[in-house]
Amino acid sequence: MLLWRRSLDSYAAAFTAQSAVMSAVTVVVGYYGGDHDLYVVAALFFLLKVILIPLILRRTRRRFGALREDSPYVNTATSLLVGGLLVLLSYAVTRPLVMLSDLPTRTGIPLAMGTVFIGLFVIISRKKALTQIIGFLVLENGIALLAILGTYGIPLIVELGVFLDVLMGFWVMQVFLYHIDQTFESIDVEKLNMLTEVTIRPVDGTVRREGV
Amino acid sequence: MLFVALLVPPLLAAALAGAVRRYRSFVGRTGVALAVVSLVAAVGLARTIVEGGDPPTFGPGEMLRADALSAVASLLVAFATVVVLALGPGLGSAREYSRAKLRRYHIFMNLFSAVMLFAVTTNNVGFMWVAIEATTIVSALLIPLSLTKGSVEASWKYVLIGSVGIAIAFLGTVIAYFGYATLVGHEAHALNWTVLVASASKLKPEVLRFSFALILVGYGTKAGLAPMHTWKPDAYGEAPAPLASLMSSALFVVAMYAIIRWKVVVDTASSDGFSDALVLGLGVLSLGLGALSVVIQRNYKRMLAYSSVEHAGLICIGLALGPLGAFAAILHLVNHTAAKSVMFLLAGDIERACGSPRIDDVRGLLRTMPWTGGLFAAVMLALLGSPPFGIFISELALFRACFVTGSYVVLAVTLVLLTVAFIAFIVHLNRMLYGSPATLDVAGDSPYWRIGVYLAVVAGLVILGISLPGPAMTLIKKTVEIIAV
Repeated sequence: MLLWRRSLDSYAAAFTAQSAVMSAVTVVVGYYGGDHDLYVVAALFFLLKVILIPLILRRTRRRFGALREDSPYVNTATSLLVGGLLVLLSYAVTRPLVMLSDLPTRTGIPLAMGTVFIGLFVIISRKKALTQIIGFLVLENGIALLAILGTYGIPLIVELGVFLDVLMGFWVMQVFLYHIDQTFESIDVEKLNMLTEVTIRPVDGTVRREGV
Repeated sequence: MLFVALLVPPLLAAALAGAVRRYRSFVGRTGVALAVVSLVAAVGLARTIVEGGDPPTFGPGEMLRADALSAVASLLVAFATVVVLALGPGLGSAREYSRAKLRRYHIFMNLFSAVMLFAVTTNNVGFMWVAIEATTIVSALLIPLSLTKGSVEASWKYVLIGSVGIAIAFLGTVIAYFGYATLVGHEAHALNWTVLVASASKLKPEVLRFSFALILVGYGTKAGLAPMHTWKPDAYGEAPAPLASLMSSALFVVAMYAIIRWKVVVDTASSDGFSDALVLGLGVLSLGLGALSVVIQRNYKRMLAYSSVEHAGLICIGLALGPLGAFAAILHLVNHTAAKSVMFLLAGDIERACGSPRIDDVRGLLRTMPWTGGLFAAVMLALLGSPPFGIFISELALFRACFVTGSYVVLAVTLVLLTVAFIAFIVHLNRMLYGSPATLDVAGDSPYWRIGVYLAVVAGLVILGISLPGPAMTLIKKTVEIIAV
């Protein structure tokens, strides 16, 4: 979804669906692994990533109107191809981990790693700041999935801290989204190109270009 | 007790700043006093270690623990906080920011300090990660204190690159925990650093290597190691001067601390030099990129940011060169933090007086602002490693480590790059200090009390360069015992 759809609505929908599947996976792992902490994790996960964050994303959508990722740096066909290659790559890099583990969930590890890679790819290849935020959230989902499938979850108390950080980080990114929109009148990160080595910007804000 | 005295004061200061709706200067002054309490507590922790006591611990499951490495790091963070808060806005009569902005500044600066102190004293590498991620969030909120296109762009890049980097470090942490849980089993305190080190020999080295590579990329992003340093010149160049100071001194210490902690775990698991090679490679790359980027700089704040990249490289090179190198690295970390805690503040004073961050616009500093210009030159020379300042000694220690370990190529490359950086900095510095001033309406020197604080820090740098005090020596040696396994 993230790779071939263009409108930001469908990105948000894809993220919500992915998060819902993940909380279900967490419950299942918690049930078969007999680890009741995971129910708490799943509940929080659901609350945070299926209800709260999509809600904020919808509010943002109302603020900015229907946004489209019209001309990403990498086009749809190439994106899908790269996505496939990234999943293959994740199978390659996680081989030693899968061979080491004896958990029944070990075959899911490469998929979790693939999610991480695809999140990274979305951040790199898309132009809208909002898409980059969603890419970051997908990346976080991948890591959380890895923790659940690979280890039946990291200690609960640390997990709580991680949730807090994700929420805060997401909130800060939202704040900056408004800042960017205010000062640049667009949320295209392509416009964020003033700070380079050749551009000198005096304090009055006018841009003077000097060759080096 | 000491832990409470270390961690609670900055939280109190943040709460006070939040409670007083209209900022008053007593809020800032109380903040400085509370930061001094933190610093005294950090000295207390260090004293316990120097006197040969066991590392103090606190809380359920030894949540907080301060060995020599934590003591050094918390000393540095607490020291930088005191200096930066004392010289930050909102204390004197200058009206640089509105009351609302000053309130925000004091809330987040103190929170920033609190999470950094927690990061270096927690025993749990999971919490360490949570705290370091929190540093990104609270510091990013302060970069656009004055909302300009430049500061918004810098803060977006900082928060995105920082968050992605730190997420990769988390991936590494999860994989290390995976290695532990698969072989040793599920345990609540498995993420405690002491537990990880104790059972490191049982863990599979290849899993730990994979995880260390990710962790090095992740925390290396926070430390500003090349090639993940790209946020650094933007953030340091656009952030308010006190925040840039605290980021380049304290936050840098925290990121290096996290790398060192994990390096010890990997080195305990297998001593095949894998982590050394990785750290050395990034170190040389950072030194090179930092040194060469200085040459083309036209903005002195960005120039200082590249100086940070360069010093991060030197410290990494030291970490890869055995016990002597580790000694040089820790000593360098101490010296660099002391120098950088005031460097960006001085640059901020110059920018405020001259109204421009461009090197070309601040000519004739020695004539327009003799004290500030002189201090700027002194700290710059200290950073360049000239005697009688401390960095001279730590760089000599690094060269000695190169000789002893027979790393002549590293030595040669380091010397060449340091020479390039030295010449580039001196050329830029000359242009700033001498010549006829571009404008005559320069505000002049800062008030005398500010100059006094700067002078005290510079005096400290000289003391570190002439003879390292006995207790400091003991503390650094004990730190090296932890690092060089």
